[in-house]
Amino acid sequence: MNPEKPEWNSVAPVVEEKAEEKNVRREWLRLASTASAGAMIFLLTGNTKRLYAQSLEGDLGILTAALYLEHEAVTAYQAGAESKLLSPGVLKAAVAFQSDHKYHRDGISGVLKSLGVEPKGPGKKYDFGALHSEKDILRLARDRENGAVLAYGTLASNILTKAVLNFGANVLVDEVRHRTILNAALGIPNY
Amino acid sequence: MSMKDDRKNPKPVSRRQVLQAGGLSVAAGVMASAMPAAAKEARFAGDLAILNVALGLEHQAIAAYDAGANSKLLSADQLKIAVSFQTDHKRHRDALTGFIKRYGGTPVAPKSSYDFGTITSATDIVKLAQSLEDGAESAYLANAGKLENREILNAAVPILEDEVRHNTVFKQLLGMDVTERLKY
Repeated sequence: MNPEKPEWNSVAPVVEEKAEEKNVRREWLRLASTASAGAMIFLLTGNTKRLYAQSLEGDLGILTAALYLEHEAVTAYQAGAESKLLSPGVLKAAVAFQSDHKYHRDGISGVLKSLGVEPKGPGKKYDFGALHSEKDILRLARDRENGAVLAYGTLASNILTKAVLNFGANVLVDEVRHRTILNAALGIPNY
Repeated sequence: MSMKDDRKNPKPVSRRQVLQAGGLSVAAGVMASAMPAAAKEARFAGDLAILNVALGLEHQAIAAYDAGANSKLLSADQLKIAVSFQTDHKRHRDALTGFIKRYGGTPVAPKSSYDFGTITSATDIVKLAQSLEDGAESAYLANAGKLENREILNAAVPILEDEVRHNTVFKQLLGMDVTERLKY
């Protein structure tokens, strides 16, 4: 069990972040198209100067959106763990997966800082709906992981900075692994 | 939440992905058609080398699943998984072959035979498959960032996702730890 008690005790599911969540997701998709436009300009004109400007702007946007998803995932697993609804095996996996998301969060935050951008912290409150059973929590986690796979999978090829791309690919591997395990736990086919 | 498999029907992003992929295809096509054949061959040589190594792994995986299926050692459920995963690898093979040909390379052919060691049980087959999927996952992960062509990278990402899924399923079947993150 993760000893970072303060975090594990601070979750209170409340409806408040929905609007912001939608905005972030919209922004994520907008940035995806921006980065792609940069790649197209390069293909058509070989204009690397413009590509570089686009790439940095695009990568920063992608990282910011990714950080939002990681904060959300860390909080979701926190809510699950403190619900007391999880069996020991599931709790162990939840703690391990939360640790992965913290690792992603810290990595992304570090890259943003190195680029001179102050990373945003987590939202104050998240709405995860009613959690009445282990299955509810597994579904919540599975949906978050599925969203993360789609996000990282879609945007990976829009990341133009090599180091960021390599980190993103490793994060994607974690998200797919998590989703596969949660699918299995929920009886959702993996094949 | 949806109980269906979203990975086969990623609705929230599919339209955008199609638009992006289409745009990049057009751009690549414009460049390719404006270049002489000799120059075309030289383009993305590093990518083609990576793709051919990956193609060799796909051929090997397809052969391994054939060996597994033909052994008659697998249960009905295990066979179902093997057939499904082999279908994925055939799709990967075809995609990689297409890219290699498009950029003027020569796709590597499957070997006439593969040595998969002694297979006497279903567990032997699952272990073999897991080890091949693990190798494939590592290969795609290590090389994704080296790909120069964005369209190829775009195609490689879902392949990497498949390999991770396959590897994780087999690890779970074998009772291996699936909660440990790779070092990076």
